[in-house]
Amino acid sequence: MQPSPIIKMEQVVKRFPGALAVDHVDFEVGRSEVHALLGENGAGKTTLMNVLYGIHRPDSGKICVNGREVSIRSPKDAITLRIGMVHQNFRLVESHTVCENILLGLKNLPTILRLKTAEKEIEELSKKHDLPVDPRARIWQLSMGERQRVELLKILYRGADILILDEPTSILTPLESKHLFDFLRKMAAEGKSVIFITHKLDEVMAISDRVTVLRAGRVVGKVATSTTSKSDLATMMVGRKVLFTYERRGGASASLVLEVRDLQVLNDKGLPALKGISFTVHAREMFGVAGVAGNGQKELAESITGLRDVSSGQIIIDGNNVTGRTARYMIEHGVAYVPEDRVNVGAPQNLSVAENLVLRTYRYEPFSKRLVLHRREIGANAEKLISEFNIVTPSRYAITRTLSGGNLQKLILARELSGKPKLIVALYPTRGVDVGATEYVRGLLLKQREMGAGILLISEDLEEILSLSDRIAVLYDGQMMGVVTAESANMEEIGLMMGGALKKAA
Amino acid sequence: MNAAVSVSAILLGLGSTIPLFLVAGVDPVAAFQQVLSVFTTTQGVTEAVTRAIPIILIAVGLCFPFKMGFWNIGGEGQLFMGGFAATLMVLMFPDSPSIIIIPLMILFAFLSGGIWGLIPAFLKARLQVNEVLTTLMMNFVAILWVDFLVYGPWRDPQGYGFPLTPMFPLEARLPMIPGIRIHSGLLIAIASAILVYLVLSFTRWGYEIKVAGQSQSAAKYAGMSYLLLTLLAMFLSGGFSGLAGMTLVSGIVMRLRHGISPGYGYTAIIVAWLARLNPIGALVAGLLFGGLLVSGDALQIGLGLAFSTVLVFQGLILLFVVGADVITQYRITITLR
Repeated sequence: MQPSPIIKMEQVVKRFPGALAVDHVDFEVGRSEVHALLGENGAGKTTLMNVLYGIHRPDSGKICVNGREVSIRSPKDAITLRIGMVHQNFRLVESHTVCENILLGLKNLPTILRLKTAEKEIEELSKKHDLPVDPRARIWQLSMGERQRVELLKILYRGADILILDEPTSILTPLESKHLFDFLRKMAAEGKSVIFITHKLDEVMAISDRVTVLRAGRVVGKVATSTTSKSDLATMMVGRKVLFTYERRGGASASLVLEVRDLQVLNDKGLPALKGISFTVHAREMFGVAGVAGNGQKELAESITGLRDVSSGQIIIDGNNVTGRTARYMIEHGVAYVPEDRVNVGAPQNLSVAENLVLRTYRYEPFSKRLVLHRREIGANAEKLISEFNIVTPSRYAITRTLSGGNLQKLILARELSGKPKLIVALYPTRGVDVGATEYVRGLLLKQREMGAGILLISEDLEEILSLSDRIAVLYDGQMMGVVTAESANMEEIGLMMGGALKKAA
Repeated sequence: MNAAVSVSAILLGLGSTIPLFLVAGVDPVAAFQQVLSVFTTTQGVTEAVTRAIPIILIAVGLCFPFKMGFWNIGGEGQLFMGGFAATLMVLMFPDSPSIIIIPLMILFAFLSGGIWGLIPAFLKARLQVNEVLTTLMMNFVAILWVDFLVYGPWRDPQGYGFPLTPMFPLEARLPMIPGIRIHSGLLIAIASAILVYLVLSFTRWGYEIKVAGQSQSAAKYAGMSYLLLTLLAMFLSGGFSGLAGMTLVSGIVMRLRHGISPGYGYTAIIVAWLARLNPIGALVAGLLFGGLLVSGDALQIGLGLAFSTVLVFQGLILLFVVGADVITQYRITITLR
C-alpha cells in the first residue's frame, strides 16, 4: 500500500428525493490495491462509485485524484482521469461486434473506421491481459463471462488505471469468478487500483487488500483485510441495532400453510435463481426471509403466487400440490400477494382507487356478473376499505397515480388482506414507504398472523424481519443458508449467512 | 384537461397551415372561408357526415387494441376484408330480401375483419412478432386480394373493363335515412360508438383492457390471460373496421371496386388519438375529420390546391396531438444556472 492514495473522496454527500444515499463518506484507495466496498442493498456503495465515475454529481464533498482536486461532471471526465467502471448490467450493444462496442464513444475516431487495426489492437490487449475474446464476435453470441471481459477490455482500451467493478460476480459462474479474481490481482500487481463493490464476504476475504464497509450511506468500518474476519465484517455490515420487538401473541400453529420442496426456478435471463430450496410456513406464523435483494427473492415470491414457472420441485399450499398453477388459481385458493412493483403491477396507475381495490376479485360476484361490472358494489367496497384501512385519497374514483407511496401500499394491503387469505406473500412491503405507513403495514401483517394466516415476509430490512418474524431464513444465491427461530437469532450468524459465508445444516 | 389538449392541438395545427397556404400562393383567409363553407352548407355537412362514417367505425374499434398498447395499423386491410365479405354475401344470395341480406352482410363483414385482425394478434402474442409490421403488411394483402377479385372473377362484364363488381341489387344497399341524404351506415356508426363506450366502461372486458394497458405483468397479477385479451381486442377492432368496409360497399359505392378506401384506415388512427381513445370522442372527432376531407375537395375545386395539402394538414394535426400528449406527461421546469 502506497502512502499517498490515488483516489481520495472526502465528506461526499449525495441526496436523492426522500433519501440520503451517501452521508459524509470518506473513501480512499491506494495504488496497487484491491479495495472492497462492502454493504447491504441500499447502503450507498453503487451511488458512491457513480459519483466517482461522474454519473451523479455530489451535493457536497471533495474528490482528489492523484493528489489533485477534481470535478467529475460526467463519465467522460472520469475516463480522462483514467477511471473506468464496469456496471452490474452491462452497457453493450448486442447486435454489434466486440470491436465496435469497444470503439463506441471514443472521441478521435476517423470517419471511416479502421476496424482491422482496432481488431488487432484489441487482440493484443486481450492477450496481454489474458482476457480471451474474439474481436469479431457479436455480443449476443457471448456468454456473461465473455461479455464482462469485453467491458473490462473497454475500460483498459481507454487506459484505465483505476478500475471500479459493481457486483461483478453476480452473473458469473464460480470458475469465471476465479478467472476474474486472478485478473484483478494481476491488475493490482501492475500498479493499478481496483475498487470492487460487493455484498459477498467470501470474495472480500479472497482478494481484497482493504475493505470499506458502508451501512445506510455511512462508513462503518475501514480495515485491512488481513486484520479482519468474515464475522467482524458481517457484524459491521449488518450492525447491532436496538431491536424494537413487536408483541406477538400466541405461537405458530402446527398446521402447515405452505410447504416448499426442493424448488428450482429460473430468472428472466434463464439462469437459475432458486437452486433447490425447501422450507415450511405454518398457520399463525410469520416466516421471514432475509437476504440482499437479487438472491432469488423475487423469483421465490412469484413462483409461489403463480406468476412464474417452476423448473422443478413442489409447492404445497394447505395440503394441495399447487406447483405450476396460474395466478388466478392462487387467488381463488386464498393466496394473497403484495408485490415488489407497486406502480406497474400491484396497483396499475391508470385505474381509479376503487378499480384497483378489486383488481384480483373483479371477476367474481358481487363485483361482476358474467360480463357486466357492478360499479355500485365496487364503489361500496372501495368506500368500506378506504375507511377501514385509512387510505388517504380525495375520492374513491381518484386515479391511483395520485396516491403517495405509503397509501399505495395500504391500498394493496387493503385489497389483499380483506379476502381473509390463508397465505400472504409480501415482497419488500415497506421499501420506500414512510415511517408512519411502515408501522401500519407491519401492524396489519401481525394482525393477519393472529387471525390465523401464514405470512411469508421477504424483506431486505433485517430489523423488520427480526422484529416481526417467528422464524427467519436467509436466502443467498438462490439457496437457503439456514433457518433460525427469532429467539435464537444471532446478528453475526445472520450477517454471515447473508454474505454467503455460512450455511447451516437443514 | 384532455379536451383542452386536443382542441389546442387542432388550433395549432390549423395555425401551422397558414404558411402552407402562403407558400402555395393562396390567401389563407380565402382558404379558411372555403373550409368553413363545408360546415355551413347542407351539402357540405351531408358530405362530411357521409365521409365520416367509415372513419368513425374504424376509430371506435381501435380504442380496444390501442388502450392495450397494441398498435393496430391494419384498419385499412380489415376494412377491405369487410367489404369483400359483404360482397361475397351479395354474390352468394343475390335474391335475398333486405331484411336478410343486410344483417348477413353486417355479420360477415364483422367476422371477416375480425379474423383478419386475429392473425397479427396471434403472431404477436405467441411469437413476439411486431404488430406494427404485421398489421401494416396485411393491409397490402387485403387490398390486393380485393384487386384480384375485381379485376378477375368478380369483374362486371358490363363494366367496360373497369375493376369493379356489378352493382348491388337494391335490396343489398343500405337504405337512406329518411329526410336526409345520408345512408343508414350512420346509424350503425353511432350505435357502434355507444356500444363500445358501454363495453369499455361497464363490462369486465373494458376493465381488463384498462389493466392490460398498464402492463402485461399487471394483467398477469390480476389473473388475466393477456393472450386472450389481445386476441379479443384485435378481433373487435378488426370487426369494426370490417363493418366500415361494409358501409362503404353497401352505402356509398353499391359495389366492390378497386380502391374503395382512400386511406380511411390510417385517418382513423389519427381520429382515435385525437379522441384520446374515447369512443364518443371518436364520433365527434370523426365528424370533424369528415369535414376536413370534404374541405380538401373544396380547396381543390375552389382554389386549385393539391389534395396533398389536405394530407399535410392531417399530418400536422397528428404531429401536434401526439406531441401535446408527450408534453403533458412531463413537468417542464426552466432553471437558470
